[in-house]
Amino acid sequence: MYVFLFTVLYFEVFLLVSFLERRRVSSTGSADASIVDTTNLPRVCVVVPCFNEARTLRTTLHSLLGLEYPKEKLEIVVVDDGSIDDTLIVARSFEHDSRVRVFHKENGGKHTAMNLALLHTQAELIGCLDADSIVAKDALLGIIPVFENKKVAAVTPGIHVREPRTLLQHMQKVEYRLSLFNRFAFATLGSLFITPGPFSFFRTSVVRELGGWRHGHSTEDMEMALRIQAAGHLIANAPNAVVHTDTPATLIGLSRQRIRWSYGWLRNAIDYRRMIGNTRFGNLGLIILPSALLSIAAGIFFFLSAVWSILQEIIQQITRIEVTGVLTPPTITDVFYLNTSAVLFLIVVSMILIVVLISIGSFVGTNSRRPPLATPLFLLFYGFLAPLWLSIALVRAAFKTGVRWR
Amino acid sequence: MENPVFNTRGARWRTYAIAFFITAFIFATALYASNYFNTERMEDIRATQDTISTDILSLETQFDLLQEHSCEDISENTILPSELRTLASQLSHMESQGARNWDEVIRLKRLYSLLEIKDYLLMKQIAAKCNLKPVFILYFYSNQGDCENCESQGYVLTELAENYPSVRIYSFDYNLDVSALQTLISIDNVENKLPALLINGKTYYGFQSIEDVERILPQLATLNPATSTRATSTKK
Repeated sequence: MYVFLFTVLYFEVFLLVSFLERRRVSSTGSADASIVDTTNLPRVCVVVPCFNEARTLRTTLHSLLGLEYPKEKLEIVVVDDGSIDDTLIVARSFEHDSRVRVFHKENGGKHTAMNLALLHTQAELIGCLDADSIVAKDALLGIIPVFENKKVAAVTPGIHVREPRTLLQHMQKVEYRLSLFNRFAFATLGSLFITPGPFSFFRTSVVRELGGWRHGHSTEDMEMALRIQAAGHLIANAPNAVVHTDTPATLIGLSRQRIRWSYGWLRNAIDYRRMIGNTRFGNLGLIILPSALLSIAAGIFFFLSAVWSILQEIIQQITRIEVTGVLTPPTITDVFYLNTSAVLFLIVVSMILIVVLISIGSFVGTNSRRPPLATPLFLLFYGFLAPLWLSIALVRAAFKTGVRWR
Repeated sequence: MENPVFNTRGARWRTYAIAFFITAFIFATALYASNYFNTERMEDIRATQDTISTDILSLETQFDLLQEHSCEDISENTILPSELRTLASQLSHMESQGARNWDEVIRLKRLYSLLEIKDYLLMKQIAAKCNLKPVFILYFYSNQGDCENCESQGYVLTELAENYPSVRIYSFDYNLDVSALQTLISIDNVENKLPALLINGKTYYGFQSIEDVERILPQLATLNPATSTRATSTKK
């Protein structure tokens, strides 16, 4: 218990300290601030891989066409990956715009769609936008200048939840704010290990050099990021490049998505296990990857501990009712009986730290330090939800069952 | 919003160390705070025990001076069963909190058992002298995992104590290393078949429901039922 708590706390504190150190450097004026030189922008290819995305594709393409970027330097490649709905028809309806090209192929997975686009583009930078996401007008101008540093092979954006409606989506909004912080902090440590589907960009030459996208256990974005890191390149984060993405509205949808992500993470971690604990990969190998793996174990452990405690309390209450016929709701009338264990204290500190990180994530992504209103719900319920899909993913990863996108 | 950010990924040993010291400090603070509150609790228990101990000593003295006092004076100054129940509940809570301060908890538990025995004997003497008819229940339990029904029996006795506050229920850990307790067990021939209730000189083994106890002690029906707030648990 204490080992897990120490690990979780250490990771949170470490990220916070890293962030503060970066802020200190930034305030002295030596941070990596970039200025957009609009006269010398590179040619960019945005790939929109689609599989049955007729419902959302139109909005996605409209947002791409609205990007502030020279027309002659932007190409939008829609790859219909064997859809059986009207995706192709919707995509073709945008072909009147000179920037849009549409390809159709047999279904083969997102990585094959990306590789098809890679084959047909001469752009210096290639990126991806899932068809369930939309971008802010200036998003690309937030990304491109970062590539002026030749060591940078990929840049990730700031991802936000698009129009949350259900309670679950509001909780995901909080989670995404935390991810904004994590991605930012990981980038300060040169340790980003995911290049998310919505609007991550890559140096085309590096992707070709690395052999293009792979299946990556249905998480090609993670596999590609790890491969980039393994090859010694840097991955940067541009939180000012704002992308809004659709998130699952139901628990089943969310679980399916997260099982895929967690499964992919675990299988890729096995594939790239040589990086874990390896000093050659710096912070990524020494802290970030081991902590991310331990977090899974800690999440499952705390979940099982909580379930066990709740079960014991229920059994006690049932026994009490059985033998006395009286229901005694747990009430604390004397401070003597307040739980003051070190474990509880540490859990509370950890929760407070998470709220601080969410607040920083909000600041990084929106310039407002106020955490989303659903933050208490996130803290209460996500701790119980996440271990469910983590456990399933763990079992499936152990048996290499594979996961489906949908 | 924040500027784009990236950095070399070389290990930052200084940051590792700073984070380690901060985390260690948080841990040390948590352990210190927890320990502080536990010590405070122990002090609470000690204070309660001191009070009961003083009350017993006072009662004994009064009893010795019985010739010069009326029985009313004595009965007005007896230790309330609720005080013993509270003490039992507090000790039970500390026991359930785990191994920290374990030796101290056991030491306080031994003292508590002694106070119970003293109170029991004194009340028996007072009852005989003053022609009172208090109801005593001696409950023997084990918390070494060998008493399946001890938890249920604890609930029953807690409920009884709440329904009949004037009933004096004394709970004893059968395995506690206290010579006076072992003597009591030996005198009353209480076998290691727990839970066991010693009522009016007769030992009842195994789980006894509220109805069973009410059947054994028909005089309970004549006692005033509780009108006050619920007490905390007896022991398990």
